Amino acid sequence: MVKTSRVVRQSDVQQDVGWRSAPYPVVSVDAAGAVRVVNEAALVLFPGAAVGGSMAGTCPGWLVEAHERHTGGTRDRVSGLIGERSFEAHPVGGDDGTVTWWLVEDTDTRLAREALRLERERTAVLGEVSSRLLTSLNPERCMQVAAELAAGHLADAAWVIAPGGRRDFPVARCVRGGDVVHERLAVDPDDVAGLAEALQGFPPVPSRWIEPSSAPGWLVPEEFGEIGSIVVTPLPGHGVPAGALILLRRTEQRAFSEDEEVFARLFAARAGAAMSAARMFAQQVSITETLMRDLLPPKLHQVDGIEFAGRYRPALDTERVGGDFYDVHPAAVTTGAGAVESLAVLGDVCGKGLEAAVLTGKVRTTLQALLPMASDHRRMLELLNNALLDSHDTRFVTVVLASVARVGSEVRLRLTSGGHLPPLVVRTTGEVQEVPAHGTLIGVLPEIEATTAEVVLAPGETCLLYTDGITEAMGGPLGGEMFGEERLHAVLASCAGMPADAVAEHVHMVASQWIGGGSHDDIAVLAITAPRGRHLTAVGGHGRGA
Amino acid sequence: MTTTTRETLDARTCAQRLWEAVVVGDEHAARDVVLTASGEGLDTESVLLDVIGAVQRRVGAEWAANRLTVAQEHAATAINERVIATLAGTATFPEPHRGRITVACVDGEWHALPARLLSEVLRLRGFRVDYLGAQVPAPHLITHLHSTGPDAVALSGSIATRLPTAHATITACQAAGVPVLAGGGAFGPDGRYARLLGADFWAPDARSAADRLTEAPLPRPRGTHQPIDDLPHLGDQEYTMVSRTSGQLVKAAYSALEARFPELASYSESQRHHTAQDLAHIVDFLAASLYIDDDALFLGFLAWTTDILGARGVPARFLPPALDVLAAELRDFPRAKRVLARAHELSTRTLGVEGPDHDHGPAA
Amino acid sequence: MSSPHQLTCTLAIVDAHTARIVVSGEIVFDSGDRLLGVVADLLADHPVRRLRLDCGEVTFCDSYGLGTLLAVHRRLDAVGGVLHLENRPAALDRLLRRTNTYNHLTRSVEPEREHQLDS
Repeated sequence: MVKTSRVVRQSDVQQDVGWRSAPYPVVSVDAAGAVRVVNEAALVLFPGAAVGGSMAGTCPGWLVEAHERHTGGTRDRVSGLIGERSFEAHPVGGDDGTVTWWLVEDTDTRLAREALRLERERTAVLGEVSSRLLTSLNPERCMQVAAELAAGHLADAAWVIAPGGRRDFPVARCVRGGDVVHERLAVDPDDVAGLAEALQGFPPVPSRWIEPSSAPGWLVPEEFGEIGSIVVTPLPGHGVPAGALILLRRTEQRAFSEDEEVFARLFAARAGAAMSAARMFAQQVSITETLMRDLLPPKLHQVDGIEFAGRYRPALDTERVGGDFYDVHPAAVTTGAGAVESLAVLGDVCGKGLEAAVLTGKVRTTLQALLPMASDHRRMLELLNNALLDSHDTRFVTVVLASVARVGSEVRLRLTSGGHLPPLVVRTTGEVQEVPAHGTLIGVLPEIEATTAEVVLAPGETCLLYTDGITEAMGGPLGGEMFGEERLHAVLASCAGMPADAVAEHVHMVASQWIGGGSHDDIAVLAITAPRGRHLTAVGGHGRGA
Repeated sequence: MTTTTRETLDARTCAQRLWEAVVVGDEHAARDVVLTASGEGLDTESVLLDVIGAVQRRVGAEWAANRLTVAQEHAATAINERVIATLAGTATFPEPHRGRITVACVDGEWHALPARLLSEVLRLRGFRVDYLGAQVPAPHLITHLHSTGPDAVALSGSIATRLPTAHATITACQAAGVPVLAGGGAFGPDGRYARLLGADFWAPDARSAADRLTEAPLPRPRGTHQPIDDLPHLGDQEYTMVSRTSGQLVKAAYSALEARFPELASYSESQRHHTAQDLAHIVDFLAASLYIDDDALFLGFLAWTTDILGARGVPARFLPPALDVLAAELRDFPRAKRVLARAHELSTRTLGVEGPDHDHGPAA
Repeated sequence: MSSPHQLTCTLAIVDAHTARIVVSGEIVFDSGDRLLGVVADLLADHPVRRLRLDCGEVTFCDSYGLGTLLAVHRRLDAVGGVLHLENRPAALDRLLRRTNTYNHLTRSVEPEREHQLDS
């Protein structure tokens, strides 16, 4: 092509003064693809463009293609990059097939849109991060989630390391797309620059880049490929260090941009807060477990061929303990004849919840200390009374002591009540008897009285100790009715000949169903049963019978 | 395969023998049956599920058919529990190498044995199992989940009236990041209620529950699953109203029956209690069916209750008038009205034309 | 579950040394402390030495309620006063007898003190 651009342009400018100085790049191209007009602004973008010259080779490919399409009839505006900048090209068609392309720069808008998209994405990720991290208060689980999320959103692989023992740390690691591994790892934090400080939370350190080649072997996942970058970020907890996050990227990935580092810090703050909350919860649970262990009702077993079974439900669903309690102390006393007598205890401390439970702990410990005198119930209760007498407080406990011994196939009981509800006995015939064991409540009056009653259980017979949570249960099908002693007698009558576990379960269930969804007091039942022999007849008759 | 068939036959024979021991309360014989079965080569899982499990299902069926009292059911269950303990004491369990599973019952559930059986099966398969049993309030379960971080909760429920509680429990477990496998009769024969309430998996029995967990871990729940998303119909408050006023509804129905059937006045205390209890069950099941918005739940219960009343010798003819009273009390609640109308139609059809007293009065 | 345990205490000063409180409703876990509060205020504000607690309208008293009555008794004892539990329902009497606090709460007043107060 002949280079005559300047001349022609001059003539064009004469035709239309506005084109030359238009603030937008303008290029006019004929149907054959030859440039007819190119203004100053366009020449800045397409320095090679010349009037009469071909559009191809001097204008960007996307514009050339758009021009061809336009000539073919598709008259869309298009957009594309010119160098680092981006433009929208608006076609204006002439009569002779010439198209004038007006170019409008949209670099800023595009960048802003891109930034907005990224920001939205990150907000969504942070939202997901927060909700997933906050679901579990289990420290291990929390670390796993943090490692998985970090590997998914921040890096090709991630390590979450929690402060641990001397040389042994809980870690969670995850390679993007893979499963999280949680283990305890004996590593030296000094192997990784910045890790020791991050785990100690002191001195405060920023995220730290480390030289991939200096990374210890354990840090590099198997078959990971060449590492491009590694960054160690402390996980700040609630005033205590929660651990460290180590992110690894492969060489083919870009290194972390400044933006991504900011994002990683936001992530670390959330992960750290969640992990330290989980750790505090775990510590609290472990302390509570330890303190609670002695307050929880014990698991009961057969002792000397005598069945013991208990059921317990505290008044408050949020508590695990309350003011009711029971215990069975096997072989508390050896009688003169060499027979052993176990001591079963069931009682009720006036009050509810943890406060009452603490007093049950005191009562149970005291009774345990008094076991050597379990042969003398009255003496035992007097000493317990003395131990609990308190001039400030009228909180009291009612309790039943039952010394239980096996004599042949029978079970012999000595029962004494310290102001408690009378024990009940169900005979194999279904007859229910109240045991006449009376006495004073414990812990208020300086002097107490107590009488001991003796009962013999034939095989299949049960003695039931229970608290007022059963008899005073409010509810029933019509609501607002007290369960009462009569109903308890009837329920027990239906339990004739049953094993202790079934009796305790049945009584507990009937009372609980009576209560339904209503509020209730602590509930405790303890069944003591003489086991049936091998060859006994069927359990009662058949049919519910109403 | 032949071996499988023989094992199943053996298990069936053993189950029959165990049933005979359990139903007469002979713990020693029950123990012998199970230890013999185990000693003669029946694998432990099969003893648990095809012998003990089969007997327990039969216990449930006999109770439902009114051939066992609740107390007898408890006696049988207690023996089965002990038999499981004996078996667990003699069986060898592998070192836990799979995952950790929490097994619990819906709070208010009294049938713990299926959950117990599943626990033992999971232990046999190499899971680490925390068996929490029945009567576990949701707050305890959730604390347990946080402190132990299991891979899944297996939740067992047999009573449909506990479905609202089951729903709350499922949601709470998932909110704590733990997926829930649901099982048991409460969730419907095809598990439809389990899906409706958002459970991550439903298993028809212990073996398929164990199979599913053995196959691969359940995916962790993601996102915040809100209970109301499962059951948008709860917005009409019908469930809330019926469950809150259940005492009043039972009372209203009871007095209406008294007015209609003078012989009720001569009922004994225990008969009156049973009648009130039957009405309370009707209201409970009505509430549950409103909760999950499935009339079939209520209609199914009603058909069963009609049979039971028959078996007990109590005339079921008080059902239609009781349903009438409830419908009148709940006239402002379209869903309740609809299901009560269907129930009324069903019960009059089953009972034939409502007529005056039959010769046989209420059973003693 | 809003507090279903209604307890009302109606206080009347009978004479310089005597007060009467009519208790109606349930003396239970949630309500017992209220009765104790009324008694504490009464003893702080008035030189009352004889308290007649009218229990005729008590519908239910559980073991916590019994604890409350024992505490009321002890408060009066501390100031040299006496407690009379009047119009006791049968259920309350059964509770007192079962726990062997019947004598303590109903007949524990030494004759001299009673005599002093009467004179």
